[in-house]
Amino acid sequence: MDFKDYYQTLGVARDATAEDIKKAFRKLARKYHPDVSKEADAEARMKDVNEAYAVLSDSEKRAAYDQLGQGHHPGQDFRPPPDWQPDFRAPPGRGYSQAETADFSDFFAELFGRTGGARAAGQDFQARGQDQHAEVLLDLEDAFNGAARQISLRVPKLDDKGRIALDSRTLNVKIPKGVREGQMIRLAGQGGAGFGDAPAGDLLLEIHFKPHPRFRIDGRDLYLTLPVAPWEAALGGVVPVDLPDGGQLKVRIPEGAQNGRQLRVRGKGIPSDPPGDLLLDLRVVLPAAETPRARELYETMARELAFDPRAETGV
Amino acid sequence: MRDDEILTGAILEDSCLTLDQLAGACAVSPDWVRVHVEEGLLMNQDGDGNGEWRFTRRELWRARHLHRLERDFDASPELAALVADLLEELESLRARLQRAGLR
Repeated sequence: MDFKDYYQTLGVARDATAEDIKKAFRKLARKYHPDVSKEADAEARMKDVNEAYAVLSDSEKRAAYDQLGQGHHPGQDFRPPPDWQPDFRAPPGRGYSQAETADFSDFFAELFGRTGGARAAGQDFQARGQDQHAEVLLDLEDAFNGAARQISLRVPKLDDKGRIALDSRTLNVKIPKGVREGQMIRLAGQGGAGFGDAPAGDLLLEIHFKPHPRFRIDGRDLYLTLPVAPWEAALGGVVPVDLPDGGQLKVRIPEGAQNGRQLRVRGKGIPSDPPGDLLLDLRVVLPAAETPRARELYETMARELAFDPRAETGV
Repeated sequence: MRDDEILTGAILEDSCLTLDQLAGACAVSPDWVRVHVEEGLLMNQDGDGNGEWRFTRRELWRARHLHRLERDFDASPELAALVADLLEELESLRARLQRAGLR
């Protein structure tokens, strides 16, 4: 197990005051907080920063860490003394949930226990297990056809000796047809284990979609840019559109449609209940005047149509 | 549980979470939720018309962010709510960009 230098993580001296530590934490929180940060590895960095701060902001934990860590360097192999008993009666503190401290490093777990104290609460202690969150990244096609996904989790649970250990589990979860961006699926009893006879928490899966090369997603609705030829727009016509479920739709372009016009096809969005709509943004694409024949056609139009696209704009 | 067992969950529809479920899902106390509703920082809906509070998944998203912002920045609840408002607006603008095919 690698030794972690929490002082280095926060960029403070070993004799830093509580106030300095708080300042350093706040500065890093602004930089790496996943809600506001643009850094690529913000989430991982914030986890490190939170872990370091959870220890250094708590005078009891900090003293224990200082005592154990004397003479160690970051990355160096570290074993706590054999008689070391993580026995912190205080809750994890600062509102870190069991699920969050479960995500802290093994180094933290070895020193302070996974929850920083639930074990000390005694035999009669009963509490419902905590809810766990996970995100599922789906393809748009999954919302049309339904899917099954494997989800790997690290869930805190009590071992035979009543200590908190991390349980790695893989769940197969059915993703029903018609799910939408941001929706949550609740799997009752699949979260953290309860204490005593209390029930386990729930697992909440948050649905997100990967960007699709053709369709854009907004809740139940799908948006698609549909390129059309000038004559299809001017004269009207029927254009085939491939749908995410593999089917094909024939869409009628109304006569005289202009570039940028939006057509709504009801019920052809994500098949929720009620189903969403498919919105088609028409984009008129001009054929290139590359051949003598194409030039001739454009010249005929120019001569015979008396068309001024700027007539109403006053340009 | 067998490895090949496939679990089917319940989709959280709008306004389906009870106060205790919301608190559990955010790892906060029910009192934390109550205070934030009373201060107008979280919105609740009347569930079955019996006065019992219900929350949407939107509020779940918001409550988790509020809690994290308050904790990590020692922010006052009002300030955290302001940041959450801005984050929501940012998200909706980004979604508009994406719908317009600009992102």
